[in-house]
Amino acid sequence: MAGKSGRSIANKPEKVWQKRILSWEGMLVVLFIAVNIFCINISSMYQFSNVLREMPKYLTEVFILLPMAYILIMGDIDISVGSIVCLSATMACTAYNKGIPFIAVVLICLMTGMACGFVNGIILTRFTELPPMIVTLATQIIFRGIAEITLGSGGSVSLTKADGFRMISGKVGKVPYIVFLVIILAAGFTVVLCATTFGRRLYAIGSNKLAAYYAGIQVERTRLIVYSVTGFMSGLAALLLVSVLYGANTTTGNGFEMDAIAMAVFGGISTNGGKGKLQGGIIAAFIIICLRIGLGLINLNPQIILIILGILLVLSVLLPNIFRGVKLQSKSIEMK
Amino acid sequence: MKKNKSILKTITTSREISLLVVLVLLCAAITIKSPSFMTYKSIIDMLRNNTVTMIMAVGMLGILLIGGIDISVASSLALSGMTAGMLMKYGVVKNVFLIFLIAMAIGGLCGLINGLVISRGKVLPIIATMGAMYVYRGLAYLVANNEWVSAEDLGTFSSFALDKFWGINYVIWVLIGVYALFFVMMKWTRLGRKVYAVGSNKEAASISGINISNVELFVYVMMGILAGICGTIAVSVYSSAQPNMLYGKEMDIIAACVIGGVSMSGGRGSVAGALLGGLVLAAIAKALPLVGIEAIAQNTVKGVIILVVIILNVITQRTIDRNNLKEREI
Amino acid sequence: MELKGITKIFPGVKALNNVRFQLKKGEVHALMGENGAGKSTLIKVITGVHRAEEGEMFLDGKKVEFKRPRDAQEAGIAAVYQHPTSYPDLSVAENIFKGHEMLKYGMIQWKEMNLQAAKILKELNTDFAPTDEMGTLSVAQQQMVEIAKALSTNARIIILDEPTAALTKNESEELYTIVDRLKENGVSIIFISHRFEDMYRLADRITVFRDSQYINTYLVDGITNAELIKAMVGREIKDLFPKPSVQMGEEVLRVERFTRAGYYKDVSFSVRAGEIIGITGLVGAGRTEVVESICGVTKPDSGKLYLNKKEVKIKEPADAIKNGIILLPEDRQKQGLILNWGLGDNVTLPIMHKHAKWGFNNNKVERKISKELLESVDTKAVTIFDQASSLSGGNQQKVVVAKALGQEMKVVILDEPTKGVDVGAKAEIYQIMGDLAEQGYAIVMISSEMPEILGMSDRIVIMCNGKVTGELNGHETTQERILELAMEKSSDLQEAEYEKEQINS
Repeated sequence: MAGKSGRSIANKPEKVWQKRILSWEGMLVVLFIAVNIFCINISSMYQFSNVLREMPKYLTEVFILLPMAYILIMGDIDISVGSIVCLSATMACTAYNKGIPFIAVVLICLMTGMACGFVNGIILTRFTELPPMIVTLATQIIFRGIAEITLGSGGSVSLTKADGFRMISGKVGKVPYIVFLVIILAAGFTVVLCATTFGRRLYAIGSNKLAAYYAGIQVERTRLIVYSVTGFMSGLAALLLVSVLYGANTTTGNGFEMDAIAMAVFGGISTNGGKGKLQGGIIAAFIIICLRIGLGLINLNPQIILIILGILLVLSVLLPNIFRGVKLQSKSIEMK
Repeated sequence: MKKNKSILKTITTSREISLLVVLVLLCAAITIKSPSFMTYKSIIDMLRNNTVTMIMAVGMLGILLIGGIDISVASSLALSGMTAGMLMKYGVVKNVFLIFLIAMAIGGLCGLINGLVISRGKVLPIIATMGAMYVYRGLAYLVANNEWVSAEDLGTFSSFALDKFWGINYVIWVLIGVYALFFVMMKWTRLGRKVYAVGSNKEAASISGINISNVELFVYVMMGILAGICGTIAVSVYSSAQPNMLYGKEMDIIAACVIGGVSMSGGRGSVAGALLGGLVLAAIAKALPLVGIEAIAQNTVKGVIILVVIILNVITQRTIDRNNLKEREI
Repeated sequence: MELKGITKIFPGVKALNNVRFQLKKGEVHALMGENGAGKSTLIKVITGVHRAEEGEMFLDGKKVEFKRPRDAQEAGIAAVYQHPTSYPDLSVAENIFKGHEMLKYGMIQWKEMNLQAAKILKELNTDFAPTDEMGTLSVAQQQMVEIAKALSTNARIIILDEPTAALTKNESEELYTIVDRLKENGVSIIFISHRFEDMYRLADRITVFRDSQYINTYLVDGITNAELIKAMVGREIKDLFPKPSVQMGEEVLRVERFTRAGYYKDVSFSVRAGEIIGITGLVGAGRTEVVESICGVTKPDSGKLYLNKKEVKIKEPADAIKNGIILLPEDRQKQGLILNWGLGDNVTLPIMHKHAKWGFNNNKVERKISKELLESVDTKAVTIFDQASSLSGGNQQKVVVAKALGQEMKVVILDEPTKGVDVGAKAEIYQIMGDLAEQGYAIVMISSEMPEILGMSDRIVIMCNGKVTGELNGHETTQERILELAMEKSSDLQEAEYEKEQINS
């Protein structure tokens, strides 16, 4: 059954290097370099070894960014991750203080996170009418609430002994383990997203859920998996956070969800779903981390760093919109 | 067409009435457990302590109605409240009315920026207000400059929350005033109905000549002004001002709206619903200690209640739909 | 009213090129043309939604310029759009008076508005109240509200954009009477429609557009279908329905006593290899709901499904696809395609896992497959990376067809395959259906268009109000017989309701 007109449709992908550089990710790389040059200029302390030492504190958020990018690409949102981190960290600390072997503590921490994510997923897939924003708002309050109950009136817990967790925060030479873990996980999440059928399905769901469903994609199962993975990764983030902080309190993980979403959006991932690349999100995360470390080294008020981040976030979406608007206008003038 | 609906049906379909029933039952239960609840003082106390959430809820209503969201409200509240506090601490402004105006202007400006970025810059509301949340909170810290404003610094202003007019707190008068204004505006004015129209069907609204950008701008500015008012009220009620005041409160405000039946996708919700949602949340907070639930578990219970309310909502809607289908004869 | 030399440019395209149009008082004027010919754009220029770059508009001989929709409304022009542009969460009365609410001291007068709305609705013979919520009404009822809205502004010119597309036969009939009445009152009407019957029944004159250009204006009296189609397409179309005679094989699919409360009841039918079954009936008869249940989109309450005489359990679309039951959904923009994706990715979405290794996509093979498939259905596209949204309705439908062809099929179910598709592409889609039947696939086609049903089906299943009311041989039946069966039950029901009301009062 060949077409009557014999019209040929091209199927060779264009590979234009200019396009690559002019893409959002390309601009982020340039910005990353610029930020590093800027940081080196403002502080003589901004050296590789110092940056590496400061890094682990900030890297925990990257663990949340990775699955959050998946969630956003599916057109969903999860604002309970900060609370999941809090609950998992609380559970880990409390369990370890009770003398439970370290390996079991690790499992408890990860499983707590995964269970929380699973709860989110189950509610959202059983009651598909509910917007994820409200459901995870409720579970955000609940998960942190449970942590509050566990922590008791003191509102915080410190590790009485830290050997196990000290192991996690160890280093190979000067490089902390966590850096390797981040690199491996980031690579893994990126490859899964851009090269596998699973990744393509996420984009399909985010672009048009109904069409994806009609095309035989198990939308709800996929969402359940992604929410559970998000919980698991939050548990992992909690584990690493405890290994840095040696304790947990009611405010642990506060605002992590916003930071992760901000990194993703800054990296070009739309909260509307279906758009953006994880590479962008990861570069954006490192831009923010380097900026934080650099500005922290010159003892800049952390609140000013927050303001800069907020403005960066809004501009990263606002500017492309404005450029697009100008482009459209000039195009229609040309036509005239 | 069936004209006379049964009372039960009205209750299950009208969110406001069912909420009212819940509220009455809740109050009755609390009164049985602790008779002091139904006293004038205790009710006024409860209202006063929750004025901020309730006023903000009506502003959030407008935003949720057009399908937007604003998570920067607690930050703009802190910024305007902190500024008001600092102005009083250093005796720059003493007039209460003027303080309110300044705070409203600051809040309004915050709202204006949000509104412009969202309506003109076409940035998604959650992103725009997330950025704004960082920025305004950061500014509040800068304004505070590592100080905080205590009751002594506030001087006569701290009595604003205690003073009464016709036997009712000033704070509650503000609450009543805001709700009366919004009730009339949302129901009887063109502007209010435009907000509903935009939320219900954006495309249709634009075809029928409604300037959507301006409606969007309007609701965000309104929210900002209310945040300014609430900033000042919060300073007087807690008789202190700190840059981290009401951190995370935006979630409570959204929760009040959601319990009040406001849809997050726009078009549905009422001023009465927002009010009742806020009241129910307040009553629950009051009831928990009385039934022996410790303060520490309050958040968990609150979260569970929100979850149960929204899930019940879905289940009732599904049941109604299913029954409607069964009624349809084939 | 008269328009001269209208040119409208959108970024990248000339949507209208030096177009003219004339409308007399009390006239019904039809606008025709393929999709994308510029009809809707012209309407939007007239109603002030878009501003034309060039050209002039005259109203009663005076030059006018509409800068915004409000200007056109004030000049007495009202439009009823293809998709009702209503507010589902608001009341009927508010919908009618949106934009020109009754105010007193700046306050909206709800009571008066409800009364006035009730008056207009009564004139239109409707059966719902002004206080009903818009979202609870049927599409036909919503269209009535739109017309009521036009009337409430005392419009002199009313524009109807595909008014009958979503209406059933008798609902259309009701609309015709209303249009007649408006015409008597001296209102001029412009309407756009793809249905020839609408035009012959209503219009005085017809203006045809093609490729953003004005072609000609004809008087309805004395024009033939063929002439019009030629004007619209720019070429003659022969053999619209190329149904080949096929040797039919074994039964492939059998539906037995499918029931879903509120949607359909006791639906049974079967399809054989090489056979085309047409399912028809009025809109809302439950046709789409039945096939959606066959394909696992929704679950039936009871009933069995047999594939090649073996019972199969289908819980979700993925199961149906695994079993070779392929659905081409009714709403291709929402259900069939991912509009912001490239054509190739759209086509290979359901089959990518078959070519993947270790879960990794095989892009090379996918690109090859999608190229072949898209070419086989003769899609008008430059590359397989073109966005689906950039194609016209007909070509989008071809992409949906290509997507189906890539899958392992046994049964192909097409739900309104030519809805919103222009005449040229329609013929090509029929051709593909014919080819598929020839290759021995079992085909189920849902359609509301009589010629299509009669032209393509071997057997016709007629549904009415959720039940199968008849099964006819496609080669021997007539339009009248089908309509009779399609409306049979509904008139009974109306009678029953009438009786009920009598008893109540």
